[in-house]
Amino acid sequence: MNKRLGMVIDQERCIGCEACSIACRIENNTTNFWIKVETRGGTQKDTPKGKFPNLEMDFLPKLCNHCKNPPCVESCPTEALIKREDGPVLLEKDLCTGCRACIDACPYDVIILDEGNNIIEKCNLCAHRIDLELEPFCVICCEGQALYFGDLNDPNDKISKILSERQVFQLKPKEKTEPSIYYCPPRPKKRL
Amino acid sequence: MINKNKDIQLIRTTCPAHCGIDACGILVHVKGDRIVKLEPASFPEKRDRRICLRGLSSLDITYHPDRLKYPMKRVGERGEGKFERITWDKAYNIIVENFKKISDKYGWKSIGWVLGGPGAGTTKFGAYLRIASLTQSTRVSAWGYGDAGLPCGSRIILGHQFPFFHLQGEFWQRKWPELLMVWGTNPGESMPLQNMRKIMDAKEEGTQVVVIDPRFTVTASKADQYIGLKPGTDSALALGLMNVIFQNKLYDKIFILENTNGPYLVRTDTGKLLRGKDIDIKKTDTYVLWHKPSNSAKAIRRKNVKEASLTGTYNINDIECKSVLQLLMDLASEYTLEKTSQITGVKKELIEKLGKRIAMAKDVTFLTHMGFTRTYHGDISLRGLVSVASITGNVLTSISSGFVPASLNWRPFLSTIPDKPSYHRLGILNLYNAVINGKPYQIKAIWFAFINFLNQCVNYNKIVNEFFPNLDFIVQTELFMTPSAKYADLLLPVCSFLEFSDFISMPYPYLQLQQKVLEPLYESKSDVTIVSELAERLGFGEYFKGGEDGLIDMIMDNPSLEGVNREILKKGVVKLRSLPEGGSFPLAFGTSSGKIELYAEQLAEDGEALPVYLPPIEAPITSEETKYPLTLINGHSRFRTHSMFANVHSLLDLNPEPLVDINPIDAEKRNIIDNDIVTVFNNRARTTLKVRVTDGVMPGVINITEGWWIEQFKVGSLNHLTHDVINPVQEKIYEPNMHMNDVSVEIIKYKEVEK
Repeated sequence: MNKRLGMVIDQERCIGCEACSIACRIENNTTNFWIKVETRGGTQKDTPKGKFPNLEMDFLPKLCNHCKNPPCVESCPTEALIKREDGPVLLEKDLCTGCRACIDACPYDVIILDEGNNIIEKCNLCAHRIDLELEPFCVICCEGQALYFGDLNDPNDKISKILSERQVFQLKPKEKTEPSIYYCPPRPKKRL
Repeated sequence: MINKNKDIQLIRTTCPAHCGIDACGILVHVKGDRIVKLEPASFPEKRDRRICLRGLSSLDITYHPDRLKYPMKRVGERGEGKFERITWDKAYNIIVENFKKISDKYGWKSIGWVLGGPGAGTTKFGAYLRIASLTQSTRVSAWGYGDAGLPCGSRIILGHQFPFFHLQGEFWQRKWPELLMVWGTNPGESMPLQNMRKIMDAKEEGTQVVVIDPRFTVTASKADQYIGLKPGTDSALALGLMNVIFQNKLYDKIFILENTNGPYLVRTDTGKLLRGKDIDIKKTDTYVLWHKPSNSAKAIRRKNVKEASLTGTYNINDIECKSVLQLLMDLASEYTLEKTSQITGVKKELIEKLGKRIAMAKDVTFLTHMGFTRTYHGDISLRGLVSVASITGNVLTSISSGFVPASLNWRPFLSTIPDKPSYHRLGILNLYNAVINGKPYQIKAIWFAFINFLNQCVNYNKIVNEFFPNLDFIVQTELFMTPSAKYADLLLPVCSFLEFSDFISMPYPYLQLQQKVLEPLYESKSDVTIVSELAERLGFGEYFKGGEDGLIDMIMDNPSLEGVNREILKKGVVKLRSLPEGGSFPLAFGTSSGKIELYAEQLAEDGEALPVYLPPIEAPITSEETKYPLTLINGHSRFRTHSMFANVHSLLDLNPEPLVDINPIDAEKRNIIDNDIVTVFNNRARTTLKVRVTDGVMPGVINITEGWWIEQFKVGSLNHLTHDVINPVQEKIYEPNMHMNDVSVEIIKYKEVEK
């Protein structure tokens, strides 16, 4: 069986620090952020929902889901986006015309237009590192140790174990894109 | 680490940023003479590999276009920022000339070295201590700029600068408690790696986590239970919790008898501890207890302490006495749920549940830091916390496993010439008076190193209008033209941490080298090099032979670091010596009684012998109408380490400008909505910035994170609003602290104030 490389993001451990955003931007030498950390709470970043002192706040790092059925790849008229056999959805920059079809097709709002070069950009799962058997840079720079990388098709891989032991979810499952990025929701609180 | 690229050289170093105990190991990728990348370096334990968003952005400091590139002399007015380039030789000549002139007139004592937080760095700090000691000038301690309250309280109750080993020693060995009390600190942003990761590890394995903070921080968001309380009321909460514990008879009698001065008798007439001489016991200085079996007063001995009465009032030779614990109980009994709730803003049920939970949990770790001690009585806040831990038996008297802590030997830096006295010492808050009024003595010249004084210290207007004008000479070593740097007479460019070496004794249980990766850029030099070259000209060159490496060897010459040297550290990180199997490391109390001093007799005349609740000096606690009804506090931001990184564009992309957080209830009263531009003001000054309306701060409290540079505010700045009031008890015990979280203000829409 082919590998299905992906990630599990543990919201219980994500402290919303955005080191992943910074790490990714440095590693991939970009101007835009390929990973954006959303605050699930109040209307502004880093703010909770609820009334003081009964409050809640969680974080959700969003990046390309490297879907099994990637609508962006389907939509690209120039075949600039490809789904690699081991999982990553990659961009062939030279073929991209900046038509934005993929941005419209992606339900996750994680493809960005690089206006300077008029091409799109997105997370590549650090394919250049994977090829050297290194983990994606965001994973090794995660302050909360909330990001796990591995092969979703390998039952012995640590991320498969997390999937079997923890409650997990994917973003927008109804879109039938089958994301390779899974999330563990925060654990229930043990109030006094 | 796999290195497929032959052109890339990999060098391990350490980020010494002022988060200090995080001290992340950094693997630097160098190509030719340029660093191309940083990544987290490996540690013996894989899980300890770490970096943060600031560490990742370090190259944006090293290669920042605004770096100071050569020595400069001021040509405009102080504060104007007009300078002209000079040579290093000229710079040293100006310093020597001014130091001579000033020391001839006022003595060397009048020259102060104001050293900020060196972070995890050791020798850059040591070099300044050494030159201060050689010249017998004044070392100005920076503990007082926010970090003196906690040591002051800790010295009183535990007899140590820090309470951390006594409270968190086992937690650092990854022994997770049943209950974790995170009180007055936000490690999620300020110590994400060394503390926050452990909190989450503990929680994963079943630890219940409680966070006490006026702000719903990221740390609070991870807690099982968040408790929001009014700033500066922590000692009232501590007393309320103690009352619940005493009322329900849930206190740990054995622990109190053996490890605290709880059974010691206190004279109710003088407030002093009863001594043998007071009641004709032969051992005249001994403390006295009430011995239950013989129903009499006896000198305290290790053997009889378990037989002491912990409570009661006794009449001994016509002297009325009470045990320390009885006095503490009497005080705590005033803090009913009703009253405690009224003062702290915490619900009654929650206080009761928490008190019982702390008392009944098998073990509790109290994880704390400086935040809640930055109020006028912050030292008592810490004492209250430690008192709660003590009466429930949650203060450690030894560590049963783990590593022998490193203890650094600063002696060689302090008493350089055996027969010559060392430097004079002033607390940074005492410096204001020394410069402005010549009390306790006149300071006429200041050398600022690794400190953005004007930006980070309290009462901006006082510094600019009264402090700076009284100084004849100001030198500053800096990387950038900071708000403080603009006031220097002489500006000396220093290296970023990638351009010099230092010894880093952190993070526990590791030792690391901050290894020089690059030659200093432009004409910059390290602080150690600058001090050494100056010392040469002052005739003390022999004390700095060997430069950075010489000083590193000096601080490493220490029995707790036996077998470790610079060469070994160059190869990689080293773990501290582990305790032998089954062995333990004793943690003695450093107080004069050798016990946890629930009662501090030296503060009897100050009315602070017990961990009393005294209201904050400015922060309004009652709902009475006042002119400045809001409490201003300043949390720390993950985007900066104090004022470092405030000018780094990659981080500004995520966090572009200062914000003031206000609760919707307070915002509505003032007709303020999200993103409005507002002015925060009090009788000292005002500042203008954007508002963020959020329930993340409690009603009555507003928050501006510290560290933003003055020019990043539309008007004024955070420290325009703060005050420099000295707490005399802190001054007496240790050194006075700046009370940045004890400031009262009002807030108004920007337009209205302009009318």
